[in-house]
Amino acid sequence: MLWQLSGSLGWVDPLLLPPPSDLWQTVQELAISGYRQTPLWQHFAVSTGRALLAFAVAIALGVPLGLAMGLSPLFGAVLNPFVQFLRPLPKIALIPLVIVWFGIGEGAKFFLIFISSFLSIVVGASAAVHGVSQGRLRAARTLGASRRQQFVHVVLPDALPEVFTSVRLSIGIGWTSLIAAEMVAANSGLGWMVINAGSYLRTDVVLLGIVLLGLTGYAFDWLLQLLQRRFAPWTGRDA
Amino acid sequence: MSHPRITLEHVSKQFAAPGAGRTAVLDNVSLTVNEGEFVCLLGPSGCGKSTILNLVAGFEQPDHGRVLLDHRPISEPGPERGMVFQQPMLFPWLTVRDNVTFGPRMTGADKASYQADAERYLQLVGLQDFAEHYPWQLSGGMRQRAALARAWLPKPQTLLMDEPFGALDAQTRLAMQELLTDIWQRTRTTILFVTHDVDEALFLADRVLVMSARPGQIRESLTVPFARPRNPEELLTDSAYGQLKRDILHAVREEAAKSLGLQPA
Repeated sequence: MLWQLSGSLGWVDPLLLPPPSDLWQTVQELAISGYRQTPLWQHFAVSTGRALLAFAVAIALGVPLGLAMGLSPLFGAVLNPFVQFLRPLPKIALIPLVIVWFGIGEGAKFFLIFISSFLSIVVGASAAVHGVSQGRLRAARTLGASRRQQFVHVVLPDALPEVFTSVRLSIGIGWTSLIAAEMVAANSGLGWMVINAGSYLRTDVVLLGIVLLGLTGYAFDWLLQLLQRRFAPWTGRDA
Repeated sequence: MSHPRITLEHVSKQFAAPGAGRTAVLDNVSLTVNEGEFVCLLGPSGCGKSTILNLVAGFEQPDHGRVLLDHRPISEPGPERGMVFQQPMLFPWLTVRDNVTFGPRMTGADKASYQADAERYLQLVGLQDFAEHYPWQLSGGMRQRAALARAWLPKPQTLLMDEPFGALDAQTRLAMQELLTDIWQRTRTTILFVTHDVDEALFLADRVLVMSARPGQIRESLTVPFARPRNPEELLTDSAYGQLKRDILHAVREEAAKSLGLQPA
């Protein structure tokens, strides 16, 4: 309400904060004619496609690597300095290197999203193993479980809720670096749309892009919570 | 003379202390638990009762001395030594039935060989109607009953119990004690049971070992003469019960005072 009124009554210049009604017009305009010759849905599809591919690979590689680091103190100690050095780096700082390594195609964009989610998944999965209940492991050992059985039947299911949590956090982080990824010579994608519209003072498009980025991130998290309830219903349950 | 199942010979154990140096937890402990015997270890907190169980379970190794099972040194945990912990330590991702059958499933036993036993134990601990429930859907007492059935299903020769009823309320604890002696009288499993509750020890045990304050040593070994099956109400009227409880309480209070750094009253 306040947001709409601020624009309608002229309290705030619509250039600084376009009201929802302007935004709705922008949605219709972009849906029909697109932004820079690319339809809105395609910007959306390109960005989510890039991100989902990067997330999938980050999970597929990061979870096993993190679990291995958690299980083997030696392996963990060897890799941990590299992971901890790279993880807090602002990924924008990597852009020049990434362009040199991967060129300006999809490879560079994939890598930037991948690396930021991958590193925090590794740290999260490794911490999840450290958090496994020693009591349950001991119970399994007195019941005759071999080392392999302890891993499959106790460590994995006990760590699963925390792995889910770290994947949720990491996907949030990965989605954040979409903007960085689409700063690299892109001509479509939500992140690119926001940056490009900003340089032409199309604040309505910028705001729309922000709303869509936010909603998509929210949808990813909602989907993961759904998966967590389905595959790890014992999350947070005491026994 | 019956056959000794568990033997500790001059066992000492130290742990790294926070700050500097090492703390001696057990100092030259020797004890024997005979086959089919029910022994309670009683002592003040921090006296090393649980450390003795962890040594027998094979989670830890002694610094000095030997821990033997049927005359052979214990090197690691094994299914012939079951354990019930203070917390139920159930697996929340498994149903009660799958929790109870965890042992035989791990050791690769044929399903037909344990299925009937599993149902019998579920019935015995009163969980037959909750077999498909998950542990978090049960009360604390029910969880501990499931843990008891899980430990007993693989038919261990020895059962180690680390204050298993300590976290339960008084009524549930009484019911669990009766359930435990009931099952024990059928199976005659050798049991080493850690507690700090004198009444619990006198109700359950054939023999009570009273431990000293840290570094733990066996201070006294007292035989509990009451005939089985025991009844908690009848025990109270037995004059020998009062005398035995006084003796044990005296020793326990003295040791507790020492561990708190007080002068004995």
